[in-house]
Amino acid sequence: MIRKAMALVPADARRPLPAYLSALGVYSVAQAAAYVVLVPLLEGFLDRDWGTASIWLAVMAGAVAIAAIGAYLQFMQGLRIGVGMLRGVSTRLGDHLSTLPLGWFTGRDSAAVARVVVGEVREVLGIFAHLLAVLITSIAVPLGIAVGLLFVDWRLGAAMLLGLPVMAVVNALAGRSYRGADDRMHRAAAEANARVLEFAVAQSALRAFGAVGSGTRALDIALVKQRRASKALTAAAVPGLVAFTLVVQLVFLILVYLVVSWATAGDVSAASAIALIVVTARFIDPPTHLAHVGTAVRVASAAVDRVHDLLEAEELRDPEIDARPADNSITFDNVGFGYEPGTRVARDQSFVVPAGTTTAIVGPSGSGKTTMLRLAARFYDVDTGVIRIGGQDVREMSLETLMAQISPVFQDVYLFNQTIEDNIRIGRPDATDAEVREAARIAAVDEIVERLPDGWSTVVGERGANVSGGERQRISIARALLKNAPIVLLDEATSALDPYNEAVVVRGIRELIEGKTVVVVAHKLSTVAHADQILVVEDGQIVDRGTHTELIRREGRYAQFCRQRDRARGWRLAAAG
Amino acid sequence: MARSSLSAEVEAGARPRTASAAVRPSSGGWALSPPSANPPPDRAALKQQARRDKAAAKQLLAPVSRSISLAGLLVAVAAVCAVVPLVLIVEACRRLSREPVDTGTVTGLVVAAFLVLAFRGLLQVIGLVWAHQIDAGFQLSLRRQLAAKLSRVPLGWFTERSSVRVKRLLADDVEALHYLIAHARLEYVNATVTPLVTVVYLFVVDWKLTLVLLVPVIAYLFALNAMMSPAHNARLGLFNRGEQAVEVTTVEFVDGISVVRAFGQTRKAHKGFQDAVDRYADALSAWKLPMTRIQSSADILLAPVFLTLVVTAAAVGMAAAGWVEPMDLVPFLLVGVGLGASLLGLAYGAQALREGASAATRLRELQRLPELATPVERDEDGREAVAPGPGHVQFRDVGFGYRKGQPVLRDVNVELAPGTVTALVGPSGSGKSTLARLLARFYDVTDGAILIDGRDVRELPLEELYRTVGFVLQEVHLIRGTVADNLRLARPAATPAELEDAARTAQIHDRIVALPRGYDSEIGVDAILSGGEAQRLSVARTLLADSRVLVLDEATAYADPEAEAAVQDALASLIADRTVLVIAHRLHTITEVDQILVLSDGRIVERGDHTTLRQSGGLYQRLWQANEEAMALLAERGTHEELV
Repeated sequence: MIRKAMALVPADARRPLPAYLSALGVYSVAQAAAYVVLVPLLEGFLDRDWGTASIWLAVMAGAVAIAAIGAYLQFMQGLRIGVGMLRGVSTRLGDHLSTLPLGWFTGRDSAAVARVVVGEVREVLGIFAHLLAVLITSIAVPLGIAVGLLFVDWRLGAAMLLGLPVMAVVNALAGRSYRGADDRMHRAAAEANARVLEFAVAQSALRAFGAVGSGTRALDIALVKQRRASKALTAAAVPGLVAFTLVVQLVFLILVYLVVSWATAGDVSAASAIALIVVTARFIDPPTHLAHVGTAVRVASAAVDRVHDLLEAEELRDPEIDARPADNSITFDNVGFGYEPGTRVARDQSFVVPAGTTTAIVGPSGSGKTTMLRLAARFYDVDTGVIRIGGQDVREMSLETLMAQISPVFQDVYLFNQTIEDNIRIGRPDATDAEVREAARIAAVDEIVERLPDGWSTVVGERGANVSGGERQRISIARALLKNAPIVLLDEATSALDPYNEAVVVRGIRELIEGKTVVVVAHKLSTVAHADQILVVEDGQIVDRGTHTELIRREGRYAQFCRQRDRARGWRLAAAG
Repeated sequence: MARSSLSAEVEAGARPRTASAAVRPSSGGWALSPPSANPPPDRAALKQQARRDKAAAKQLLAPVSRSISLAGLLVAVAAVCAVVPLVLIVEACRRLSREPVDTGTVTGLVVAAFLVLAFRGLLQVIGLVWAHQIDAGFQLSLRRQLAAKLSRVPLGWFTERSSVRVKRLLADDVEALHYLIAHARLEYVNATVTPLVTVVYLFVVDWKLTLVLLVPVIAYLFALNAMMSPAHNARLGLFNRGEQAVEVTTVEFVDGISVVRAFGQTRKAHKGFQDAVDRYADALSAWKLPMTRIQSSADILLAPVFLTLVVTAAAVGMAAAGWVEPMDLVPFLLVGVGLGASLLGLAYGAQALREGASAATRLRELQRLPELATPVERDEDGREAVAPGPGHVQFRDVGFGYRKGQPVLRDVNVELAPGTVTALVGPSGSGKSTLARLLARFYDVTDGAILIDGRDVRELPLEELYRTVGFVLQEVHLIRGTVADNLRLARPAATPAELEDAARTAQIHDRIVALPRGYDSEIGVDAILSGGEAQRLSVARTLLADSRVLVLDEATAYADPEAEAAVQDALASLIADRTVLVIAHRLHTITEVDQILVLSDGRIVERGDHTTLRQSGGLYQRLWQANEEAMALLAERGTHEELV
């Protein structure tokens, strides 16, 4: 954990590190020294030799003063390292997030990412501000006492040096067995929670069919099983716990017993024996505390791992030379792609969309149509083959160059919690007010604005909560209109729009694609029929292609598709019979 | 609107520490608007909340509080046992210093110390194991209770909440209680009893040295108090806001990344994030540096090495003056100097207790949520007497609002004749979805009544209600299990032939048969269904349930464009011979229904059939014209004739 945590500290924030470690060293050694000095101090004190006691007391006070300074310095330097780490890691996380492929973000819980950026990083800060010092002093102070005692009573010092590794080993073993049991217990609990959650989410279905009043049987079985697992696992954790508590105490009492036996044998004076016992108590104190910070160490180490995971997500590499596209054509050349290794969402797709033409993609749901658009916009990189825009591999263009060519209009419209005007202006930040208004007019956003209380300066709410689905689509079209990129990638919405919004959206899109190179995932026959090229996709493969007339004549899947769409359009809801 | 405010009220102030909750109230944007400046919460309100949390935890844990107290008692004994061995060793030291040394007694004391320590270890382990056992039993009964509760709250509760929020409640908060029961209380007991026993023992040994020992402890408390100055609180507030701003910008950065990148705004968004990070780190330094300066100085006061020095110095002085016996210092060095560490443990324990308590508050809120009122259980005979009716539905003077004073529906009077189809139309926000959901008792009406075959829906036992009213809405929920399990939800005793029959009617049989294990394929494992397929499976399920009244969202017909025709066929077979209330979006699909209700702003403004309404000159006519226009636009470039 420590090494991984150190890796998160940027080079310039490591400057206080030598000071921090030396302060920790001084703190530990001075503490150990203060305790060792306690032996002659107590010997003098118990023998009522106030002079000797006072001299050693002064020495001890000096050691404690040095320890205090060390403690203060390590605290401050640790915090400085921690703050430097926080600044550096947050910046790195931000830099890294902005270079990740868009695909990484799809389906990602943004709150979870924010938890890593803020919460987990703060946990890592705690390592430097607090935890690391506890861990180091817990080992260094007893070690220092043992070594120091070698010069006072070498037998006790040696015995302590033997005891340390024993405690360390048992601590590690016990910790592991306890952690293992605890982890399994958490997993069993997580499973039970998942069942309860599923029960909650499926409530409408369950209730519609009569499961009212109590949990379902399956749920109850899972819950009872969890209790059994939890009980069994608790029992499994016991031996480790017992072993650790006993061993530390055993070491302590063996040391005490040794001292007592030397005293009764007359090897050491009673005063020395008492002094040695007191120091032994100080020697055993830090290891006992080590056990208490176990949970904190676990939390911190998990936090370090999660920050590393985020930092290690593979980024999209920018090319060294930024290739410029020759025109606005799109070429797929033997493209293959899968979201996970071993699966294929796109297989061996090859086609050309000449500049200024429209290509429609049709096919059953789940056949990989939207993925083709995402690949063209480089949300993901292809596994095999090449995608070219204007003759250039999209991977050889910088993201800026590539994105300058493309206006994506996808189904999930994200609106920032800003005004409507700001949300449109994202399309082209340097657009004049008049241009923004014009785009808004074409996409009929001006009508939305009229209805809203604060007009153009109405804030759309978190994720655009204050505007309806149809209105969001209109805003996204206005954005694309304002950007006016030569290539439009359009994923036709499948959601239910009321007649009015539908008409407005259709009109806006028509305006948007005028004269552009267009790839559209189409559901509406009107869109498909007038495309220059239609690709029929099934299971990630292009199974047929041609113009509408050609494909209809072929009587294949496309003709079937058209007949179904047509039948669907004529559908009327009415009580049969 | 009503949705968000209602849920906001339920969660208000409940959970300020999680990321997403902290994100919610702020209006910050990455590019332009700085995050809103929330004033730091005032102390009185915080204290009140803490009191509420504590009471909630007490109520929630009431069933196990006696066993936990017993376990706590065990731990208390163990805590005493932690001090006793040191006392025994002190005694051994006293005997060592007396000539002649009684070897047997000294050795005996050391052995006794070991035995007590071993006993203490045993007690600790028993306490911990016992607490875990109590917890396991408690979690089982709590989850059972929650499950029972979840099946009785209005369904609307679920539609108002994202599943993520339901999860937080049912998983994270239940987990937090585990810590409260199995760890926090016991640790707290341990951290309280140990210093208490220590101080009492030391007072008995020598009160003067005890007072000396307490001086640094009291000084520590003063230092802590000094730390909590108004300036400190202001800096803390700044830090909290900085942290929130980083959260908000991260969330927007992640959620909006495709927009940001597609429109070439990466640098700007990134700058917004970087600014937030810089402000956050600055605020952190400004808050933490002065605090750490005081805290690190204060911490020294409680360090065993410092306490050792203080008490030894005092003892040397006092012994020289003849006020104390040198031997009396020994108990202080062996037992007393650990006082500071156990007090720090108290602070940590208190924090964990607070977190557990606030989780308890949220779970209590869930437990106290109003349930759908059900009629007093009648005896079996009484229930059998009610024969299934034809499915005649009446809305009588129905009014409804999610919140008081904000009605969503007003004065709704409607009759649905058995076996007819009634469509609800109206602009978005007019209340048509709410009206339809009231029939399935997602919520209870605030005024008037809804009657099915003459009986108020609130009077019907829930089982009977849901046997009578089925619904097919846009969201489809399949449960974990096989395809057959999902179908049998509707009719547990259904034969394979009946399942197949329903699946065939719903146009999904062929797809099921094509699955690796047919009807025994598991949802999400080897039965991966598209939206339209899941929709048809749910239609099959509803067919099996065979309820007389059906609530339907027309949008389900085209949720999956590629399967639209198949879903439509399934729906057509479903609505036959039932009383149907349908939420309609596309008007041309409902031209042949028996009755159309036009809603505007929560009132029914027009009713009748399509032919009458389209010439009425009212809202429906305007909606119809817009519909026609849309259809014409769509058809403009690809007409029916041209296509086929």
